[in-house]
Amino acid sequence: MDGRYDIAIIGSGPAGLSAAINSKIRNKNIIIFWNSDLSRKLITAPIINNYLGFHNVTGIQLKQEFESHISNMGIKLNYEKVNAVYAMGDYYSLMVNEKMYEATAVIIATGIEFDKPIKGEQELLGKGVGYCATCDAPLYKSKTVSIIAYNKDGEEEADFVSELAEKVYYIPMYSGELNINSSIEVIKDIPLEIIGAERVELLKLKNSEIKTDGVFILKNSVAPDQLVPGIIIEQGHIKVDRNMNTNIPGCFAAGDCTGKPYQYLKSAGEGQVAALNAVLYIDSIKNKK
Amino acid sequence: MVNIINDAGFAQEVNNSDVPVVVDFWASWCGPCKMLSPVIEELSNEYGNKVKFFKLNVDENPVTSMQFNVASIPTVMLFKSGKLVETLVGFRPKQAFKSVIDKQI
Repeated sequence: MDGRYDIAIIGSGPAGLSAAINSKIRNKNIIIFWNSDLSRKLITAPIINNYLGFHNVTGIQLKQEFESHISNMGIKLNYEKVNAVYAMGDYYSLMVNEKMYEATAVIIATGIEFDKPIKGEQELLGKGVGYCATCDAPLYKSKTVSIIAYNKDGEEEADFVSELAEKVYYIPMYSGELNINSSIEVIKDIPLEIIGAERVELLKLKNSEIKTDGVFILKNSVAPDQLVPGIIIEQGHIKVDRNMNTNIPGCFAAGDCTGKPYQYLKSAGEGQVAALNAVLYIDSIKNKK
Repeated sequence: MVNIINDAGFAQEVNNSDVPVVVDFWASWCGPCKMLSPVIEELSNEYGNKVKFFKLNVDENPVTSMQFNVASIPTVMLFKSGKLVETLVGFRPKQAFKSVIDKQI
């Protein structure tokens, strides 16, 4: 773990990058967490004509402009996925698997995912349904675990769990060759429902049913209220005021994750507002000491 | 002050307390549990004698963990007059616990 950063930014789309630039200009010590391609949504946009200053560009061209801007400012991105952000009072702890980072302020710019939860997922959350297999794996010694994975990162988690659990099923929601322990049973089917009374008992898929004690759903991004326990969500979005403050002091949010319109320029604007307010927050804490 | 509680003494402590009791179910291999630990410690200092705080290691105390169906950790349980009144699964900021505890004092 490095020393405590001033601002940690989660997300590398327009909101996150705009926040980064504005924080850097204000001389703050920042760390930005990202996935590949800066933003999956951005690179698939065919033509953009409403981002002021860049007319008729493709998503990829706009992404290249963003990259060049941040590179020009000496901003480096940290290619790691944050699993959780813990509000510790006067600082935040960010967990990346076993590693932990600290920051005085956090800006959540994780975008929006349109996956609907599986039937039974929300009801049985914490009762056998979880989002982090490695976190809860030891609780499933001599039990059965089913892992529904949306990307390749799930394979490593599945291997880890297979060393502890009695039986592991792996349900890949992506295509491509799998590289997992031979003891893991792969099921290529669509999960429909997670069933159980007080605890998970069964996973129903389109063409089969499996008895299971735990179901871990490894998605592409972590839902904001899972990522930041205690954060208030309203209608699927992080609730913010006009200063991009969430309900937790020092935690800000910007971009699609705060709501509509889902537009790049709006996201960039919110990233800026979040950064400027994060800076004010940090300075106010420093002045109190 | 967060005291250690185990299978043997659980019923006795929880049933005989005239103030609400908070039990933090944790394990040494659980990252979020370690993050929660200082938060629970701060809460115990703030509530003083008004609430009793205990921590229970789930690996060392399987009976209680199974009795209360602990499926995910950290789990924090709040008891009043020997009855379980609230179960909170996962880390939360201090304020989230305070809102729940304050309802019982």
